[in-house]
Amino acid sequence: MENVFLFAGLVLIFASILSLYRVIYGPGIFNRIVAVNVIGTKTILILVLIGYIYGRPHFVDIALAYALLNVIMTIAATKGIEV
Amino acid sequence: MKGDESVIVRTVIRLMAPFIQIYGLYVIFHGGGGPGGGFQGGVILAASIILYVMAFGIEEGQAKLTEKINMIMRTTGLLIYSGIGALAILFGGKFLDYGAVPLPFIHHIPEVRAILIDGGVEVGVGITVMAVMVTLFYEFYPGGSIDD
Repeated sequence: MENVFLFAGLVLIFASILSLYRVIYGPGIFNRIVAVNVIGTKTILILVLIGYIYGRPHFVDIALAYALLNVIMTIAATKGIEV
Repeated sequence: MKGDESVIVRTVIRLMAPFIQIYGLYVIFHGGGGPGGGFQGGVILAASIILYVMAFGIEEGQAKLTEKINMIMRTTGLLIYSGIGALAILFGGKFLDYGAVPLPFIHHIPEVRAILIDGGVEVGVGITVMAVMVTLFYEFYPGGSIDD
């Protein structure tokens, strides 16, 4: 069962690398903000998977902190945009 | 400044802010047995205020948490922290030496000591960090200043 979670974690890391391309080269500010948000969401899942694989349930707390505080980054980034 | 964010953002933040604050309190009080502690919990508590100010504007945020209350919280947290530290000196230990403080009836239970003494220090640190973070945010936010 752990191999399944390990494989899922590797797939998520690969997907976040794909999103990182969109952050760096993406046209426009909105693509970049959405891509950073996607990476943040994947980070939550990767943290939970790492906590399961290594048997540390405290990682769920850190993932909760990420989930609650990711909103601030997005809103603060969109405050500075003039459409 | 009211209404400079969309209604979706304001509603979601009004729903999320209590949960962020509950989680900040959990991180403060759970610091002994897991990740977290006073500083991290204080930052999470301050993040809820910052989120509220970014959605509703600086006037409504300072109506919720005025600068006077903020200053009182800043000094009160520092007083709790250094007071517990100095209490250990009064009973013959070193600064912040928790084991030296005698508790009247429940001194033989280590969890009670941990919650009362260590939790008191964590609460002091959390209050101070929250108030300082909010003060920095009020100072740097456009339209807000602390020169009252």
